[in-house]
Amino acid sequence: MKAKRRMLFSLLLVLVLVGIAAAMMVIGRGHTVYFDNKTLEDYQGQEYKAADKIVVTVKGEEVAKLSKRDRGMATWIGQNFKMILEVTQEKGGESEIREIDLKLPYNMDGIIINLPAILADLPEEAWLSEFIPAVKEEPAEEEVPGEGDDFGLGGDMGLEGELGLEDGLGGV
Amino acid sequence: MSKKTNLPAGKRALDLARNNAVPIMFIIICAVFIPMAGFSPSYLLNEIITRMGRNLFLVLCLLFPIMAGMGLNFAMTLGAMGAEIAVILVADWQIWGIPGVVLAMILSIPFSALLGFICGTLQNMAKGREMITSYIINFFINGWYQLIVLYIMGAVIPIMHASIMLPRGYGIRNTVSLLNMRQCLDDLLAIRIGGVKIPVFTFLLVGLLCLFIVWFRRTKLGQDMRAVGQDMEVAKAAGINVDRTRIISVVMSTVCAGFGMVIYLQNIGNLPTYTGHAQIGMFCIAALLVGGASVEKAAIGNAFLGVILFHLMFIVAPGAGAFITGDSMVGEYFRVFLSYGIITLALIMYEAKKRMARSKAGQELAEAQKKEEDA
Repeated sequence: MKAKRRMLFSLLLVLVLVGIAAAMMVIGRGHTVYFDNKTLEDYQGQEYKAADKIVVTVKGEEVAKLSKRDRGMATWIGQNFKMILEVTQEKGGESEIREIDLKLPYNMDGIIINLPAILADLPEEAWLSEFIPAVKEEPAEEEVPGEGDDFGLGGDMGLEGELGLEDGLGGV
Repeated sequence: MSKKTNLPAGKRALDLARNNAVPIMFIIICAVFIPMAGFSPSYLLNEIITRMGRNLFLVLCLLFPIMAGMGLNFAMTLGAMGAEIAVILVADWQIWGIPGVVLAMILSIPFSALLGFICGTLQNMAKGREMITSYIINFFINGWYQLIVLYIMGAVIPIMHASIMLPRGYGIRNTVSLLNMRQCLDDLLAIRIGGVKIPVFTFLLVGLLCLFIVWFRRTKLGQDMRAVGQDMEVAKAAGINVDRTRIISVVMSTVCAGFGMVIYLQNIGNLPTYTGHAQIGMFCIAALLVGGASVEKAAIGNAFLGVILFHLMFIVAPGAGAFITGDSMVGEYFRVFLSYGIITLALIMYEAKKRMARSKAGQELAEAQKKEEDA
């Protein structure tokens, strides 16, 4: 009876941990959101012009002040993205404030949002695209550990005084 | 009235000094070095508090094996390796902030527990030589860790991000950036007093572990561990499953070390993939010894005092070394040789004290026997 209860308790604990881990995976997914203030050309035969100036505020912090053809960025944790846009369509014109809520796709790390398209209330395909970083040419072999004859003891044997984590004093 | 209070004050002071020689030595050295280093009090306080938040959880993990009589156990390094694997996966899955830290902690549990179980089982085969056995097991498991991280990750275990992977297409880079979870625990509920940042939430976690240790000592398992730590044969005769209790203590140590390593890495903000765990056991053991602990006995207070003194020494020694020798490079080596010199001395003193106690006990027994014979 006691063993059965212990087993049940352990199983329950594992389930709770798995549940928490799953929840963390959903709510903790990080995205880098890029904002483009660029004219959207030829979407279903129409053109959506870039605004003269757009100020983007995310989590109460002004993250970008975009003129025409500018790009800004912000980081966001989770899928329910919120931002406030202060849009000035024409130079010297009145600014308009828009609050925008978006659902970010889970599988995208970098997301480009075309602001003129989203301001025109176009469908997602018009304003959302994935940011794919340019592949940087790197030498094929980076120095990797374990190839010397130090028996994995590390080059400095701790003489740097650190765990190899930081320069100077900060590592321990 | 106890025997101790009957002793003259001078002898009591001498006993106290002898029993706390290492912390006293460190306090004296720090007191001499602080003015030489020339750091402001607020800078020193800030550094000490940061390092306490970063290291205390890891140092406290060492208390479980000591409780079970397994000495200053390097098994915690295995927990750190488990945590590093978890952190690499979390970084690749792009889970940021506190959820990333929580996920890394949860993910580290199976890795750390498995490694702890292996280490505990092996240590049961080498009873009485746990310290050196665990130290060597580290190198053995480190080989496996490198195999996983260098060859299996990316080739078998999917790794998506090029920023984490080596340019050849498999294996993890030397450094993994944890910028998106950097100090997220430390900044939570953090307060600033006179320019000194106090990471309240991290200290709360450390406090919780302290409470857990205090509570755990009073549980049946905790009592069993202490009994095993005092005398394995007596514990066995009392019906305690010695081997199982010892394995549990190591597993608890590695799992907590996994959590501690995640706390450590979030504070640093990057993961040195191949070196992060390498010295962690040594530094934590050193800190605990500096706090006045011994191979057989350690308390929460030793961990706190040790982290403060050991890190204070680490902060001020390079400056003091540079002040004395006029060369900052010498200062860097100065702290290493001083810190480890004192730790070596601590271990020698512990052994000498143990031998002295043993010979004193022998003499007392011989005297008692002689008296009996005379009577």
